Amino acid sequence: MLSRIADSLFWLARYMERAEGLLRVTSTHYILSLDKDVNGPLTWKPVLETFTSCTDAEMDAIAHNTGDALKKLLTDNTNHNSLKVIITKARENARGIQDYITKEVWEEVNSFYHLIHQPSLDKRLSNYEAADILDLFTRHSVLYTGITDITMARGIGWGFMNLGKYIERCLETIVLTNKQYQRINYRMDEIKDIMLWRHLLMSLSGYELHLKTYRSSLYNHDVLHQVSFNEDFPHSVVYSLGRIDRHLQDVTRKNSSEDMAALMRCFGRLFSKVKNTDLDVLNNDNLQQYLEDLRNDLLYFTTLLSQKFFSYA
Amino acid sequence: MDRLKLLDQYNSAADIWDEMYDKQQIRDHYSKVFTSLEQFDVSALQQKDRLAGELFMNQGITFTVYSDDAGIERIFPFDIIPRIITGKEWEHIELGIKQRLKALNMFLKDIYNDQQILKDKVVPASLVASCPHYTRDVFGIKVPHDIYVHISGIDLIRGEDGLFYVLEDNLRTPSGVSYMLENREVTKRIFPELLAANHVRRVSNYPLLLHEILLQMAPTQLSNPTVVLLTPGIYNSAYYEHTFLARQMGITLVEGRDLVVDHHKVYMKTTDGLEQVHVIYRRIDDEFLDPLLFRPDSALGVPGLMNAYRKGNVAIINAMGNGVADDKAVYAYVPAMIKYYLNEEPILPNVPTYELHDASVRKYVFDNIEKMVIKQTNQSGGYGMIMGNKVSAEDWEKAKVAIEADPRSFIAQPIIKLSTVPCFIDGTFQARHVDLRPYALCGPQGVQIVPGGLTRVALRKDSLIVNSSQGGGSKDTWVID
Repeated sequence: MLSRIADSLFWLARYMERAEGLLRVTSTHYILSLDKDVNGPLTWKPVLETFTSCTDAEMDAIAHNTGDALKKLLTDNTNHNSLKVIITKARENARGIQDYITKEVWEEVNSFYHLIHQPSLDKRLSNYEAADILDLFTRHSVLYTGITDITMARGIGWGFMNLGKYIERCLETIVLTNKQYQRINYRMDEIKDIMLWRHLLMSLSGYELHLKTYRSSLYNHDVLHQVSFNEDFPHSVVYSLGRIDRHLQDVTRKNSSEDMAALMRCFGRLFSKVKNTDLDVLNNDNLQQYLEDLRNDLLYFTTLLSQKFFSYA
Repeated sequence: MDRLKLLDQYNSAADIWDEMYDKQQIRDHYSKVFTSLEQFDVSALQQKDRLAGELFMNQGITFTVYSDDAGIERIFPFDIIPRIITGKEWEHIELGIKQRLKALNMFLKDIYNDQQILKDKVVPASLVASCPHYTRDVFGIKVPHDIYVHISGIDLIRGEDGLFYVLEDNLRTPSGVSYMLENREVTKRIFPELLAANHVRRVSNYPLLLHEILLQMAPTQLSNPTVVLLTPGIYNSAYYEHTFLARQMGITLVEGRDLVVDHHKVYMKTTDGLEQVHVIYRRIDDEFLDPLLFRPDSALGVPGLMNAYRKGNVAIINAMGNGVADDKAVYAYVPAMIKYYLNEEPILPNVPTYELHDASVRKYVFDNIEKMVIKQTNQSGGYGMIMGNKVSAEDWEKAKVAIEADPRSFIAQPIIKLSTVPCFIDGTFQARHVDLRPYALCGPQGVQIVPGGLTRVALRKDSLIVNSSQGGGSKDTWVID
């Protein structure tokens, strides 16, 4: 497979996964914003901090205005991580590999792109139509996932797409988890209300699983277990890494050079660190460090991966 | 019910050949379509028009117009009413194109090898020597099966007399074939009943025919040669077509940066290392192909490609240097080539062409300028054209100076009023001028042409310029028996 195509497949999948994540977080936040939060009036600040590079002043100006915050997150061209920009980038990548991806995948990405470029969107976002729009976008996002799954050929290209997808997903879980624990100053020992965790769990589509799986009221522990170590939870760190492991083996199967062995070792260290960590070891003092290390290790692995496979220009 | 009387507002002019209406009645081959169209009311047709637009948009068959910082996606205009050609007319076109391509391939072989046609003074040597597209670097290079033009998009027009004339040969990188194929697919969605009732000949096997020819061009005997399509990239206006063809043929779409030449062999950079490429269907013009030889500032091509080509390690399709036969002054000699190489009379006539280096011809053209069109010999896409009946006195004076200074770069042709067909515009049927571009494929087994082609239509009223860059659109083209 052409390195350029592998690169574009990887980034197409990453951007689409990022869009999905952004949509779920935004939808969850929007729905919850209609209730009064346990800690007073809900602010968009944590979402804006995670998904935009706004300055504090910019953030303060829109943090309490749902319409403006939604516009910033979804349709603002100046926000490099807005849904519109992400989808545009995903489409640019898809466009360069139109001959490789299936017609169905291309048409889905393309129609998503045209949808988000409709000029009337901004107005509708401020007009209490936000839920409809977010639903529509989310539907396109899952449609993309389904279409990709049932039409794309398995093989090395599929491997690169999944590497992109699960690296992005894993990073997102780590970042959102970190953000949420930061809000309680990484206090693992305090018993907190499940309502506080609802935001994170719903953003990761894991709220129902949580209610079904965990019976104790040690929410702070349970949530960390779910998002980090629960192998049945498709957004958990360990699940994502497991997928990365599998697809990494697929793409390196034909290539037994020393470079590849080094790449595998780099990933192996990261994966075993997660697999072999005890939940009980994580406490108020080391949780932040643990999450940040995890993120940095994953980013380092991603850099190595792109050096090995995507160097062409 | 707001039903349309097709002919009520139909404005076909008396001195122009109309494909549907012969001034007294509807021509036979249009009768079924005509009757069916009269059954639809305006809103149903508008609905079909909208659906066609959406289908093109969602498939990404668009080009980007940049205004301010936002790119706006537009579709190439598509008119829903098909253009119809009879089987008998088609046989004539097919024979004519086959004959022409045979002669043109022989001309290109001759001109880059023995140059017999120049020695026999059938084509003036000065004409070829002064052609900017005559590529000395490919002189003497042997190409597989002596085929230079594998893919051509010969532009035909129909004059007032109802005869088809060849307007241009397009032997380099003709585009638009994806529109021919997609137009048909869209028609299948919007007029299934019309297609079924008219027994329209199939065009959809074009990519398979092309693929077969590409495989046969591999320079060495290989069971599974690697064929790629070389594109300038996503910003090229024909990029959709490149992806379309690559996908339909199942070949890899590459950009210049994906390829590298090592020891006179071409490789593509893959995730498993380098993989040799045997056949390149290039959609990049000659002058961008190899920066070492042509334009050093171009990043679209592959450094060293020319050496690999010269060594015979890679086939390039179409061959390099074909531009010389596309020159509008050389075009005037194609009937003479047919006579010279094949000893046959041309089946499809040329449009009469005046070369302007002769002072008396120049005077004749200048005296009759209101009936003439002046074209630059090395331009295409409708650029560099002066319509004698529209040009302002001031522009004409300037043009005259330019022509006097360099008469070799211009030719003149009488203005031919292209034939008209009905188009669905603003809720009515109106006559608009069209041309026809059939796509011919030339392989070791001879020339194959899928029955149909791209009908380009000048959507502006009374305009004779059909190029998409100048407000043209397209139509589905049916050959029916």
